[in-house]
Amino acid sequence: MKQYAYYPGCSLESLGKGYHVSTMKVAEALGVELKEIEDWNCCGATAYFPVDELLAYTLTARNLAKAEKTGLDFVAPCSACYKNAYFTNSYLQKDADLAEHINYALEADNLHVNGTSKVRHLIEVFINDVGLEEIKNKVSNPLKGLRVAPYYGCQILRPRKDHEDVENPQYFENLLSTLGAEPVDYSTKTRCCGGSLIITNRRAALDMVRILLQDAINHNADVIATTCPMCDVNLEVYQAQVNREFGTQYSIPVMYFTQLMGMALGFAPGHLGIGKQQVSGASMLAIAQNTK
Amino acid sequence: MVDELSFSYEVGNLMYASHGEPITNCLQCGTCSGTCPAVEFMDHTPRQIIGMIRADLKDEVMASNTYWTCASCYYCTVRCPAEIDIADMMYALKRYSMWKGQFQEGLIGPDFSEAFVKMIVNSGRSFEPLLAATYLPKFSARDIIQEGLTATGLVLSGKMPLLPKKIKGLKKFQQMVRRIIPIGEPS
Amino acid sequence: MTERIGVYICHCGTNIAGVVNVADVSKWAGEKLADQGVVISRDYKFMCSSLGQELIQKDIKEQKLTRVVVAACSPHLHEKTFRNACKGAGLNPYLCELVSIREQDSWVHTDKAAATAKAKAIVSGGVARVIHQEALEPLLVPIHPDTLVVGGGIAGIQAALEIADAGFRVYLVEREPSIGGHMAQFDKTFPTLDCSACILTPKMVDVGNHPNITLLTWSEVQKVDGYVGNFAVTIKKKPRYIKTEDCTGCGICWEKCPKKVLDNVFEAGMGNRKAVYVPFPQAVPKYPVIDDVNCTYYLKGTCKACEKFCPTNAIDFNQKAEEITVQVGNIILATGYDLFDARRIPQYGYGRLANVFTNLEFERICNAAGPTGGNIVLRDGKTAPKTVGIVHCVGSRDKNYNAYCSAICCMQSLKFAHLVRERTGAEVYNFYIDIRTPSKGYEEFYQRLLEEGTRFVRGKVAEVTNVARIPEEEGKLIIQVEDTLIGKQRRIPVDMVILSSGMQARHDSKDVAKLFGISCSADAWYIERHPKLDPVATMTDGVYIAGCAQGPKDIPASVVQGAAAAARILGKIQQKEIALEPVRATINQDQCSGCRICNNLCPFNAILFHEDKMVSEVNPALCQGCGTCVAACPAGAISGTGFSNEQILSQIDGLLLLNISKTAVPVEQ
Repeated sequence: MKQYAYYPGCSLESLGKGYHVSTMKVAEALGVELKEIEDWNCCGATAYFPVDELLAYTLTARNLAKAEKTGLDFVAPCSACYKNAYFTNSYLQKDADLAEHINYALEADNLHVNGTSKVRHLIEVFINDVGLEEIKNKVSNPLKGLRVAPYYGCQILRPRKDHEDVENPQYFENLLSTLGAEPVDYSTKTRCCGGSLIITNRRAALDMVRILLQDAINHNADVIATTCPMCDVNLEVYQAQVNREFGTQYSIPVMYFTQLMGMALGFAPGHLGIGKQQVSGASMLAIAQNTK
Repeated sequence: MVDELSFSYEVGNLMYASHGEPITNCLQCGTCSGTCPAVEFMDHTPRQIIGMIRADLKDEVMASNTYWTCASCYYCTVRCPAEIDIADMMYALKRYSMWKGQFQEGLIGPDFSEAFVKMIVNSGRSFEPLLAATYLPKFSARDIIQEGLTATGLVLSGKMPLLPKKIKGLKKFQQMVRRIIPIGEPS
Repeated sequence: MTERIGVYICHCGTNIAGVVNVADVSKWAGEKLADQGVVISRDYKFMCSSLGQELIQKDIKEQKLTRVVVAACSPHLHEKTFRNACKGAGLNPYLCELVSIREQDSWVHTDKAAATAKAKAIVSGGVARVIHQEALEPLLVPIHPDTLVVGGGIAGIQAALEIADAGFRVYLVEREPSIGGHMAQFDKTFPTLDCSACILTPKMVDVGNHPNITLLTWSEVQKVDGYVGNFAVTIKKKPRYIKTEDCTGCGICWEKCPKKVLDNVFEAGMGNRKAVYVPFPQAVPKYPVIDDVNCTYYLKGTCKACEKFCPTNAIDFNQKAEEITVQVGNIILATGYDLFDARRIPQYGYGRLANVFTNLEFERICNAAGPTGGNIVLRDGKTAPKTVGIVHCVGSRDKNYNAYCSAICCMQSLKFAHLVRERTGAEVYNFYIDIRTPSKGYEEFYQRLLEEGTRFVRGKVAEVTNVARIPEEEGKLIIQVEDTLIGKQRRIPVDMVILSSGMQARHDSKDVAKLFGISCSADAWYIERHPKLDPVATMTDGVYIAGCAQGPKDIPASVVQGAAAAARILGKIQQKEIALEPVRATINQDQCSGCRICNNLCPFNAILFHEDKMVSEVNPALCQGCGTCVAACPAGAISGTGFSNEQILSQIDGLLLLNISKTAVPVEQ
């Protein structure tokens, strides 16, 4: 059993409940133990940096410190939490001055952080640690004929520049192929969904979402797969508002990648949080379950 | 001796932890603005903002909606040929704007960020319904109704928490926060 | 017996005298260093002037000086001046020492009292050292009159012709089957719009016919031994599988060859060639080569169509590679450049979107002898574009790829804009950051393009995409860019995109540099001796660089560098022998333990090891006097003539004023 220090993030308990439920099922099936970090706090997402940079890093550092105590890799399913953790961690290693300030604050909570954890995104743990071969072996219900548009979004890829192909990554497509699905090649897969602009500049975010939905539909996708609850909410929950704003009639299902993995691994959709969405997943289920 | 720090110098200071090149390296090539997915909704392009900062046009920059329209998707940062962290600069401008209380009228971002920060300090976790109070007042009636419909849908599918959560070690957490900035004073 | 030392303190106008009290220093040297041997001490406004030099010469004769110390500017500037002055007066030039009290004192300090004291210490150091200096004679090395030119592009061709025309033999080595380089691939050259092949081929023919040029194409240098004036170069001639003494270049073999191969070199992947081929019709030499990787005979043992049809029986499938060694006196490296791989920028779509072309691909399209017969068409081979977008600065001026500017892409992009307009009447957009048109006729060329109605958009292209958002964009390539002059993001639909990819050093430039004993910069271009004043020489005597191998440049500049390198070499050949600086390391063989640590440390491969005596020896002709081996030798067996341990340690004692029998120099308030 591979063990990890699991940082769910605030969304997974509310808007991203489907992500959490499906993650737990998939992890169990693949022999991955996600041990929730004890008494974790909100990472601040993108809302803290506009106010105080040091405090933003400190919030995440508190969670990193707790993970360090367990000695396990820090795993986040949400791209925004992942990005914050990754960079806070890497700055702690490089910037002794910053580390000093942060540790001074953490001291008040009897914590100390060294920046020694490895910060991972959930999808990458499945792909690299479990391995595509192993996943393929466990797929009992391949998603044959299901055209999935892999939506990476921004913060899972950027601003990191040190890893393979920031402009045209392929790992999500590889995972989807392993599940038996047909990944759709569309070029806006790394374009921003608007993130928190859905609150602070609704019009801008809806336009950005519209471009993504239109591109996926133009490429005949049956479903869009996401790796971040913020992206998922923008693409799915607000689809109706996009329609109202632009007079479009989109109704494309949006699923977390773990929900698709769960289906491929043989779990019932109901156990994966599917069916509790604003945009019905019925059309996707019709294709996905028409296998065997 | 310089009496007042120039605006460009101040912004440079605010980017102290940025791991990119300083904005003085900007070629004004326009890659950032050509890439930005939100540029249509900005009154100045990111490149223009950098130009304006370098010209020390503080009030014009602060009055622009550009940096509050940035979604921090970092596309500009990874493509910039001068390796400037432009998204980070947008955050620096947001911080400056919050610090000075200077920003375009009608923007939701400042109130939202402030409320979010306070919310975390008070409970350690985020709670969506509380944030609604920051932006709903600025929405049109039509938008409020739409938001209400969306929210209802979420509540019915069990995705909207009705009660806020607090972390257990809240007291120590708040002490930790106060070692950075003095907010969340115990009343 | 003490030496008779003359000390000369230069004012250098106010450069030195403005900070250092030169009169005081001069007086002090005359008094305090008298027991070291100083018999005369003067100060003068400009020691480097003829009057200043005459001062020294007069004193050498009248005062019978045996040593001279000049305290002035950096030795880099005037060491030679003063050495020559001494030589003119009959004193061995290596008995003259120049110490810097300008760059190392007056130019870097503001405290006048302290600077004066420091100047005294520096002079004292110089005096202490010069006592231990020896009279040295420069090393005379004969210059072999033959020259090796590596690289048969325009720079190499120019250099070879200049030397050969002057009556000396040149070996021109080129790794491709024909000379011509990148210039042979182009259609027209800017700004004159001369047909590239038309101006190049006459020179190529001259090279092919020249009695003094030994053309070795389809060959590569394997090994370089020796030193300036005396190189032994081993060249591998790859097998052409053609007997050149019998081949007439008639072309029947490649006409009859059934095997088509994608030509990734000359045609930039846009067209095919045969397995037996000449890279282009005007190839020099005219002899084809057989590509033994793709030829059916080598793969399966069958075919042999070329052999069947060759009228002179010139095919020889069993031909072997040949290694020859030539003796040359000097070498010119003119190995050219590689194109930046535009696939490294995925957002530009090269390799993914069909109608995105690189500059080299577009040159081949425009070329009348190219894969499309000179018709500007899309990848389908027939559709003419109605709108073309030309992207400047692809992979250049970008810290994510190459930070430097590739010098020619702006002009090249303008040239493309003109050719597109002229041949298709299409709408042309040029997307640039700056328009760089520095040379003669270049700005006028830009003006011409403006008059032709080219649409210039100032903005570095962010993306090239085929994802349409509005009906006008359907089926087109959309260039997304900020038009910085109006401050708006624009999406411009075009049919064809041309990427002006930048220049890069050859992929193996570091290996080649090592082979010849020169260095590369961080960007892998060969390093010149001085970027301003000596761009064709290298730090290795006898090896010169020319053309784009030294850095991005246009054709005139490449020609100039080729000619410059040739001129330098002709000068050396004329002199028949050259004098090398005698500042060299020498190994005391009695102290050498044969540990060989120094052998591999020498950056110039100047240390030989004698197996029979188990000792190392420094080859004075290759040694540059860098001092690495001196420092590394654990036995302290290596010393430098001109920088011996004794000299250096004495100078240090002098700097610390330990050579003065009095207490510390009083600092004047």
